[in-house]
Amino acid sequence: MLRIVRRFNRENPDVHVLMQRMDWVTYYNKLFVAGLGERAPEVFIVHAGNIERFMQADFIRPIDDLVIGPHGMDEKDFTENIWSAVEKEGRHYALPLDVHMLGMYYNKKLFREAGIVDERGEPRPPRTRREFMDALDQLTRDTDGDSEPDQWGFVYTWYRTNAYTIMRQWGGKFFTPDNQRCLLNCPENVEALEFCVDLIRKHKLVPPPENFDSWIGFRQGKVGIAFEGIYMLEDLKKQEDLEYGGAPLPLLGKIPAAWCDSHTICLQRDLEGKRLEAAWRFARYLSDNSLDWAEGGQVPVRKSLRDTKRFRQMRVQYEFAKQIPYVRYVPRIPFVFEFFSEYETAVEKALRGSLPPREALDIATENINGIIQRREQMQTTRGTSP
Amino acid sequence: MRKGKFLSRFSGYLFLLPYLSLFGTFLLLPVCYGLGLSFFRWEMLSLAPPRFIGFGNYMEAFRTPYFWMALGATFRFVIMIVPLVVIGALVVAAGINALPGRFQALFRAAYFFPTIISISVAGILWRWFFNTEFGLFNALSGLAGFKAPWITDVNWAMKSIVFMTLWWTLGGPMVILLAGLRQIPTQYREAAAIDGANALQRFFYITLPILRPVLLFVVVMSIIASFQVFGQTFMITRGGPELSTRVLMQYIYETAFTNYRIGFGAAMSWLLFLVIALFSFVQFRIIREG
Repeated sequence: MLRIVRRFNRENPDVHVLMQRMDWVTYYNKLFVAGLGERAPEVFIVHAGNIERFMQADFIRPIDDLVIGPHGMDEKDFTENIWSAVEKEGRHYALPLDVHMLGMYYNKKLFREAGIVDERGEPRPPRTRREFMDALDQLTRDTDGDSEPDQWGFVYTWYRTNAYTIMRQWGGKFFTPDNQRCLLNCPENVEALEFCVDLIRKHKLVPPPENFDSWIGFRQGKVGIAFEGIYMLEDLKKQEDLEYGGAPLPLLGKIPAAWCDSHTICLQRDLEGKRLEAAWRFARYLSDNSLDWAEGGQVPVRKSLRDTKRFRQMRVQYEFAKQIPYVRYVPRIPFVFEFFSEYETAVEKALRGSLPPREALDIATENINGIIQRREQMQTTRGTSP
Repeated sequence: MRKGKFLSRFSGYLFLLPYLSLFGTFLLLPVCYGLGLSFFRWEMLSLAPPRFIGFGNYMEAFRTPYFWMALGATFRFVIMIVPLVVIGALVVAAGINALPGRFQALFRAAYFFPTIISISVAGILWRWFFNTEFGLFNALSGLAGFKAPWITDVNWAMKSIVFMTLWWTLGGPMVILLAGLRQIPTQYREAAAIDGANALQRFFYITLPILRPVLLFVVVMSIIASFQVFGQTFMITRGGPELSTRVLMQYIYETAFTNYRIGFGAAMSWLLFLVIALFSFVQFRIIREG
């Protein structure tokens, strides 16, 4: 990113962009407080999953007039499901830069050893639940003879993305369309979570989370399959002794789905005149050069960029990008952090066997509805405040 | 003459002024402001302006299971760490005190060393030590065919945090106790020895009673510090697994700075302050009566 910014500064001597980077937690804290104090930067990145609260707080400027303006771009270059992730009441509040989705990483060496190969002898990643379960069966084994498996077919990495994807594949819902009620404990989600738990407890094809470091395990070559984000590619690239591949997620439930999020480029609300022109020029530049950004483990959001030879050569990104028609963003609610804290606790408790899936989801649903109610009360009592 | 008198009367305040202004601006003022905030419902994510709700935030804390869970986790930590740190520091200090002079400095430095490491470094270090797959501890215990879920099991995680904290914080109390031990005139123990008291008797009947004020100071300071535990759990477990190590400080932090519920966070901070104040008050009473 820094390289792209430097290049922009070189090519646009009339504009100088100063880039700041920090870890996400600090970043969002600072950004939000700066926004409240009306001192937000001119251009900033927000995750699509996080954009709702910035919209509600009225920090960001809709970009529709710029998109159709003289230096605009073709809306059709964005897939509808991605373009609508930044839309509210007909207006688009950010320019999506990338889409980083969950996908399947698999260990080619272990696949070959287990004989999961196609007719040419190449490792064949599973596509259906059946193939997935078979692969897990073949990959999970005890290699040191203590009758405990030490090589696993599959691990759960980040509960948030893994469980969310599987629930979406079962057709699960999270909120009513108006976001006024949480549906986390709907039968589809319960069933999906039961499937996740069964892989550990019943089928014993996945290590219990309390005893295993999942992503590290994959990198150490002890795990056949892991679902992780495209952004983890960087991790694997550094590792020379691991023969890995990337593929779309298998269809475990009823409908294809993959968790995703996007880095989106937002413009500060009060920009005008020259500063607005410069900010938009920079935002466009980032978007136009997002193949450079994709190199490090991202998928560009624009079809025209994905449709290039250069992108097709990014093997894993290209495979993961096949899922774009059915990638699913997280629910767009302003209280994302509170929601995920409840959600992840529920999934964790179920996977660890502390609570049955239904009960865990019931509790989380009740708590999330409590959050909605609390926020509702705040809005309605607004008129009576001193 | 009058001028000199004036100066001498106020010079004390003048000397205090630099610190007092900093103390006032960055501590006293925010503390009072925080107290005020705790009576308001203020959520930065909402467009609704802050609204006075009296003790509403405090009532919410009492109703929220997460508050009690976090307070419970904090108490579990305090109950385990305080006796361990105090007794550990006492034993180490007594041991070092009994060493010949030239070794004392070496051991004192060695035990004090972890204390100067910042929590972010110590936390990352120990997260690796505790790693189930390839951590130092399991690599060692693996030789004996045993692997422990140090920070991944609900029943282990807090104990592991306590273990790490013991290593990290032992040095401070140890140095204070060592200084206390040094101040005890050797004649007392020599006299007791002549009267036939053995080493243990000398320690329990001579050294310990004289050391009592220092010991109580160490206990109080260690309790206050332990109630505010945050860095260790945040760096090593992030409050997990299953929120079992999410202490009150972390819950307050998440409430105020991740969920932006400023009023509620402020109210819980004041509740934590009251708990600490209560414990400190009781102990200072004990000291005074002693």
